[in-house]
This record gives sequence, C-alpha cells and structure tokens, in this order.
Amino acid sequence: MNKPTTRALNVAALALAACTVLGSARAADISLPPDPGARDARTLVSFACSKCHGASANGISISPLFPILAGQNQVYIATELKLLRQHGRSDPHARAFMWGISHALTDEQIDGLAAYFSSQPAVSGQPSRNPELAARGKEIYENGVAQPKVVKCAQCHGENSGGTNNVPRLAGQHPGYLKLQLHYYHDKLRENILMQRNVANITDDQIDAVVEYISTLSGAPESE
Amino acid sequence: MRLLRLGATAALWLVAGSVLMLAAQPARAVPPFARQTGLACEACHTLPPELTPFGRRFKLNGYTLTTRPPLVNDIDDYKKNTLWLTDLPGIAVLAQIGYDHYDRAPPDTGNPYPAHAQSDTYQFPDQFSLVYAGAVSDKVGAWLQLTYNGEGGSVGVDNIDIRYSDHTIDNKFVWGVTANNYVTFQDVWNGFGSYTIPNFNTVTLYQVGVANAGTTGPIINTFGPGIVAGLGAYLWYDDSFYLEFSEYHSSFATGGTPVAESSNLAANGGVLDKFAPYARFAYEKDWGYNSAEIGVNGMYVNWIPSNSYISAQQILAANAAGNSYTPTQTFNPGAVNRYTDLTVDWQYQYNGQHNIFGFLGHVTHERQQNSDQLVAATFTSPQGGPIYSNATDNLTQFLVTAEYFRNRRFGGLVSFTRTTGTNDPLAYGGDGSPANQYETFELDYVPWLNVRFLLQYDAYQVLANNQNPFTLSNNTFPNSPGFPNVKASNNNTWVLGLWMDY
Repeated sequence: MNKPTTRALNVAALALAACTVLGSARAADISLPPDPGARDARTLVSFACSKCHGASANGISISPLFPILAGQNQVYIATELKLLRQHGRSDPHARAFMWGISHALTDEQIDGLAAYFSSQPAVSGQPSRNPELAARGKEIYENGVAQPKVVKCAQCHGENSGGTNNVPRLAGQHPGYLKLQLHYYHDKLRENILMQRNVANITDDQIDAVVEYISTLSGAPESE
Repeated sequence: MRLLRLGATAALWLVAGSVLMLAAQPARAVPPFARQTGLACEACHTLPPELTPFGRRFKLNGYTLTTRPPLVNDIDDYKKNTLWLTDLPGIAVLAQIGYDHYDRAPPDTGNPYPAHAQSDTYQFPDQFSLVYAGAVSDKVGAWLQLTYNGEGGSVGVDNIDIRYSDHTIDNKFVWGVTANNYVTFQDVWNGFGSYTIPNFNTVTLYQVGVANAGTTGPIINTFGPGIVAGLGAYLWYDDSFYLEFSEYHSSFATGGTPVAESSNLAANGGVLDKFAPYARFAYEKDWGYNSAEIGVNGMYVNWIPSNSYISAQQILAANAAGNSYTPTQTFNPGAVNRYTDLTVDWQYQYNGQHNIFGFLGHVTHERQQNSDQLVAATFTSPQGGPIYSNATDNLTQFLVTAEYFRNRRFGGLVSFTRTTGTNDPLAYGGDGSPANQYETFELDYVPWLNVRFLLQYDAYQVLANNQNPFTLSNNTFPNSPGFPNVKASNNNTWVLGLWMDY
C-alpha cells in the first residue's frame, strides 16, 4: 500500500534534476554575509549557522528542531547543503529554514562549512532510560523487520551509527530530530528514494524503538 | 437579535476566509525579514509578533542576517564594506482590521440613551502600517514604521528601532546600541511592554469602552512613539544573559525644542522631564524544545502632568511677571511627579514540531511620588485645585497569558490582567480606586503565517471609573443621566479580527 509508484518516482527524479540545474545556475558567486571578509567558514558559522546549530559555533544545537552537525560526515554535510541550496530537499523544515539560508552559498563555502562542522567534537549517545524499548530498537536497527519489510539500519549507518561518507552519522543526534526525519521519509516528505523505500512500512512504535536504540550508540568507527 | 447579527457577521468572515483560502496559493513571499533572510516566518516567530529563540537572536544581532545578493556593493582598500544595498528594499505592509461588538452600546453623547447608540463597529482599518525592516549595512539594521491609526484617524511615525550590533566570533558576547522611540520596543521577550501577548487590538478596546471606562496601568506602558525617544546599549552574554541600559528623553511629533510646551502637555497627558533611565536584565535558558526566560527591568521617570492646574500656575506666573498669559507660552511650573517602575517578567515557550505552548506575563510595581504642588495637603495656589489626594500612590499590575497553537494553524490564548493600587479620589475619580481587571480569550486561525483570523472576547470585571459590578448599587454613571447602572461588564467585547503582513 505504501509502495511508491514508478511514475511518482520518475516525476520526483525529474523535479530533482530540474532543481539541480536551476539551483546551480543561481548560486553563482554570491557572498554571504555582505562583509566580504566573512567568506570563511568560521565566520559564516558565527554569523548564520550558529543561530540554530549551536550558539557557540560548536555545531551542537539545543532544539531538536535543528540537527546536531558536530562530527557529522563531511561528504554528507556538503551533499545535503547542496541539495538544500537547490531545493532538492523539500521536507517542511528544509523549506522553512534551509532553502533561504543556503541559497547564496558557493561551493567553496559549502565545502568549508562541511569541513568545519565535521571537525567539531561529536556527541555520543547516552544509556537508555527505557532498556526494553531500546532492545526492541536494537533488533530493528541490526536485523530489520521481516514482514512487512523494514530494512536494517546498520547495513548503511554502521553498527555504532557513525555512518560513512554520504551516509549520515546518527549517533548522538537529537531523538526528536531523528523521529521527525523517519516520519518525513515514511510520508515521502523528504526526498531520498532509498530511505523512503527502507522505511515505507515502518510503524510509529518501531520508529520510537529504533530511535531509542540509536540514542545509545557511540558512533565510534567499526572495529571489523 | 444581537447574537443573530454577530452570527451573520461571523459567517460572512468565514466565507470570505474560505474564498481567500481557495483563491490563494501557499504564500512564498512574506515580509521583509523573511525576504532578507530567506527564512519562513516560523524561524523567528511562534505567531507574530511573539519571537522564537532564533527570532530573539536575529533581533539582538541587529536585524542584519541576510542572504540577499547585493545589487550595489562598494568595498574599500581594506576590504570592508562601505556600501551594501540589496536588490530589494525591505518594505512591508501590515494591516489589522477588526469588527467589534460591545455587550452594551456606548452612550450617544449628543442624546439621552439609547437615542443613536450602537453596539457594533468596524475598525477598518484598525491599523495600517508601512514598514521598512531590515539590514542597512552589515552591522546596522532598522525597523521604521509609519502607521495610519483607524481610531485616531491620523497618520504618524510609529515604532522605530535602529540598532548597531556586533559579536565575537564564538558569539560569547553580542553587543549593540539601539535608538528607539518606544520604551520596551527593543526588548526580545513578550511578557511585558510593547509586544506583550495578547497583542491584537487590546489597546483600542479599553480606550473606547462604554462610558470611557479606563484601565489605569503603569506609566512605563505609555511611553510610545511621539512621546519619548531614547538610546540604549545592550550586552547578550553566553547566549543566556541580557543586560541593557537605556535613557529616554521627551520627543514630540510636532516639537523640535527641548521644552515642555503646553500644547504637548495637553496632547499626551503630560511630558517627560529631563531624562528617564531604563535598565533591563534577563536570563534565558533553552533546552530541548523549551525556552524559558525570567527578567527584571526598572525605569525612573520625572513626569510633568498635564492638568488645568498647570494652566492656573501659568496664569499666575505670567501675571506676576507683568505679562498676559497665552496658552502657547512655554512655562514649566516645577510640578514634577517621580515614578519608579519595577517589573518582573517571565516567558516559557515550548516550540515543538507540531505544538506550541506559551506561558508568559509580568508583575509591575509602580511607586508614584506626586509633586507637593499637586497634592491636596500641601497645595497652596489660590487658583486651580490639587489633582492628587496622596503624596505617594502605588500601583501593581499583574498579567499572565497562556497560549497554545497546533501546527501554527489553529490555536488560541487566555489572558488575565489585574491592576490594583492606592485609593486616590482626586487622581482617579469615582470611588478613587485605580483597580481594573479583565480577561482576553482568543481563537486564532492562521491559513498562512502572514494572514491571521481571530475571534476574541474581552471580559471586564472591574474598570477604573466604570465600577465594579459588586458595588454597582452605589454607582450609577453620573455623567450620563439616561444611561444608568453602567458596569464594567458592559464593556465586554467580541472582536473579529484580520491581521495581514505582506
């Protein structure tokens, strides 16, 4: 029932491509903020990003409305920022906040911001206050759900949820933020065909459980 | 019938609202701050004018955050901006329209009641403003508002706040200077002052109430545009502590000289003498979806009250000097009251994904030391008369508001205001009590964040000069013989409102 139609996917892909072309055309060499001395990432963070993503420019937001960026994977931050700049991510919060704030960023600035936030000390998870719920979440996170199918998170995000390159680190993230994103993917409000498929069948209870478990993870590199 | 008429009007508004909903596309362009930053209203506001934590920081940083490309950009040899003009000036239109229905028609002053009394009126517009709001340079921003006031029927300079702001790279210290013409307009919380919640139409209501009922309040609430202007410096430390010192002087819309002219005295009920210092401290703590603030502020004011007594003094002084008195002659008889206002305010805000909850308000205590020349016991002038019974009057105002909004679309609030103080028959008339008490109930529908429909009910239990219903038997309204038994609840008012910003 939740299976997206091929046509819808094609339309989304076309829209994404169109946005990409339009977006890259309009993002040409605009400085933000107006002070040209403020083009370096640190100043940008201080001037703009820090208002939501951690006042002291450490990338650790207070409100779960905004994600923690400290220690996030550099490639992922850059990819998302470029998507946001070209309106290729249209979940409600992306529209309300990031579409506008990112639209004038240059590629160089985006790379600088990604490097800056990824180098900030990351936040690790905390022991769960609801071990039973976390245990159920662990099962979903590591093995997925057989029927109706929910893909296991660990496959891409790693056992400790540190992510890799284009796959985001989830460890230490605000639980409220993670839940919202899962709902967005489930409801197809946030573009990412892979994630939309992976969680197409996920229930609210399963979201609560898996987020509870992710909140306990360290994000440490896999030992192999 | 009354209910029927109200119902019909409500239906009309609903239909109008529905048509608007069908006709309009989702709003992409919103007022100048949104245009400047590229952020939706919800970044800065729960519902305008109440600010979110982000909105507070935007204001504290001088309205300068911008993502607009410059149309004109001039940079000197040291790579500093000497000019930065956006391609889009930050102009906005703000409009408030109201439909008011009084529980009892105000008396027709030209005829015995109920000759031509009417219970229903449109405030069309209640207020209409043109605003410039936004960055002027990379460190200076401004809010400049010109307003047509429907009640007064006049156009005038309204709220102004021009500020310079800078900060350290880690945002540990944000500091700024503000020049403004409204005490508290520069503040970023909403529990007291010019942006107290509730914010729609409430001033109009009690000023035009039945039989000119009054809601006496602290003098600090009255220092708006056309009366004062001031300069302040503030520090925002560690994203938590706010400290501000400001000073205000008189500033008349029509007067360019630093004197207390008689015409201005009459126009504003008095004039500020010398300067008035204002200090503000607040602490904000944010965690999760929550933001809580507690703060204090104080203001000290020397105030020359306007009264016929001043004229009497002027006549005496002019005669003593061998001059004939003319009303426009400038004269300060030295009758100055001293006010000390101290306020504690608080604000709790839950700003969730779908739910917004707020609990905010203030307690203000005012100590009013009246000039010897104006108090009955020490009054010596052969002409005129004293205007205060007591050498010192105290006033305490308490306001508390609780609000809830779902998805920033539906919601409402309940607000309670109570003011009590020293009995002073000469100052307040009637039974001498300045007491007043009222509640505001409001339902809001916000189809778009810049269009808001609201239904408000204001219920009054006690009003100065308009009597407490519990003492009604002793107090028929003396100046309207055909209009007896006026009580506070006669002022109860339904308001259908529309608020648009574009």
